[in-house]
Amino acid sequence: MAGAPDGGTVLSEKMLAARFAEVVLPHLGDALSLARWLTGNAADAEDVVQEACLKAHAGIAGFAGGNPRAWLLTIVRNASYTWMAKNRPRSVVAVGDLADLDDVSPPTDNDADSPEAVLIAKANSAAVEAAIARLPQAFRETLVLRDINGLSYREIAAMLGVPQGTVMSRLARARGLLMTELGGRDHEPA
Amino acid sequence: MSPHEDRSREDGLPQDPQDMKLMIHALVDGELDAAAALAVERRMAADPELAAEHARLVALRGALANVQRPVVSDDFLARIAAIAEVKDAEDAAEPATAKVEPLPQWQQSNVVEMRPRASRWFNSFDWRQMAASIVLTAFLASGATQWLATADNGSESFAVAVANGHRRSLLAATPVDIVSSDRHTVKPWLDGRIGVSPAAPDMAKDGYALLGGRVEVIGDKPMPALVYRHHEHLITLVAAPRQNEAKSVPVADDLSAGGFFLVHWTDDAFSYWAISDAERPALDDFVVRFRAAIIANPAAGSPG
Repeated sequence: MAGAPDGGTVLSEKMLAARFAEVVLPHLGDALSLARWLTGNAADAEDVVQEACLKAHAGIAGFAGGNPRAWLLTIVRNASYTWMAKNRPRSVVAVGDLADLDDVSPPTDNDADSPEAVLIAKANSAAVEAAIARLPQAFRETLVLRDINGLSYREIAAMLGVPQGTVMSRLARARGLLMTELGGRDHEPA
Repeated sequence: MSPHEDRSREDGLPQDPQDMKLMIHALVDGELDAAAALAVERRMAADPELAAEHARLVALRGALANVQRPVVSDDFLARIAAIAEVKDAEDAAEPATAKVEPLPQWQQSNVVEMRPRASRWFNSFDWRQMAASIVLTAFLASGATQWLATADNGSESFAVAVANGHRRSLLAATPVDIVSSDRHTVKPWLDGRIGVSPAAPDMAKDGYALLGGRVEVIGDKPMPALVYRHHEHLITLVAAPRQNEAKSVPVADDLSAGGFFLVHWTDDAFSYWAISDAERPALDDFVVRFRAAIIANPAAGSPG
């Protein structure tokens, strides 16, 4: 009933190739985008994503159902940090710092009015990209996963291994920093 | 206590202003259910500061939408697609080339041309890329499943359809339309829906619990499907009423599609397709036990 061992191996290689094509290839744009924002440059992103895809291929047999994009992005995130630890050890944020960042509350907005919203909406993409690049790593990663890659709070929480409430506060903090910068408010948040 | 605060307390939203802002973010992100969204919108209408935060968020979302996404170049796509292709080719090549004497240069290139997948990838970079782009072009043009379906014969495309149904069920909130471990519930439900139902033995004692059934549409025909759970894995069993002209497959046939294992066989009344993300031996074991269960209780095996 079961196929010969040899036939089985070949079959399974084919199967894995098909699954790789279905699960990984459609999400390369998202993978590049995340790696680009985590490493800070597009050329490095390709190297990181290629490395992540090798890992994804090695682990593709373990993927059954679920969200392929979130699965791949988790691997890309890990690959990005591994890559940075190797190539740019000084830029990696220590894990211990993240808890402190979460305690910081978003800036207060007493001068909130619609002209500010107009300024934000009109910000050119170069300014937006520069502002994202200046975000602290933990905030940038959450913002990119949500606002660029479009993952849900739940998916981000699962990927980062933090509670959803932490995802929400990091996201609010990241957006608060961007809004402050793009909205032309001169006061720096605490 | 002001009336405003009283109302706030009743709507179940946070009292803390910063937490309330998180709710505005959640609203913009589409993370709130309808009731919570309504409550937040009411608060916003009563609180200009919250409304302003909402306006800024919507503006920011617009600004972020303009951020350029990295372009996935054809070259990069080919490189990534080759990851899977390379392993495939190398595995196939090793045993075949091991016993063969090295060929003269011109013959070697001939072989490469005729059997691209068996060539070593580092000798044939162009080929590797081309093979990958062909796969990718097909993939981009029509989706990977389409590619799988057209590359093979009819039973393969049926297998792909079964695989897609199984994959959809893994992604859905529930893999079944009717939840029941009782065949006396599942069979009549399927009968009532589509007028045909296979035997649905519960084999929980063998390690295969009947979760329920659903209707799978393959081609243009609705077909009954049973769903079993084996440890953490789901097994979908599609039972196509057997056509007279359909070829008999007395012994289970090994197939695969979409990265899943498939076993196909025919009994008297039905053509069965069992698919699972479980390991191959588990699926084979399931098939053996399922067939034994039907033979033990033939009355349950008659169609609808």
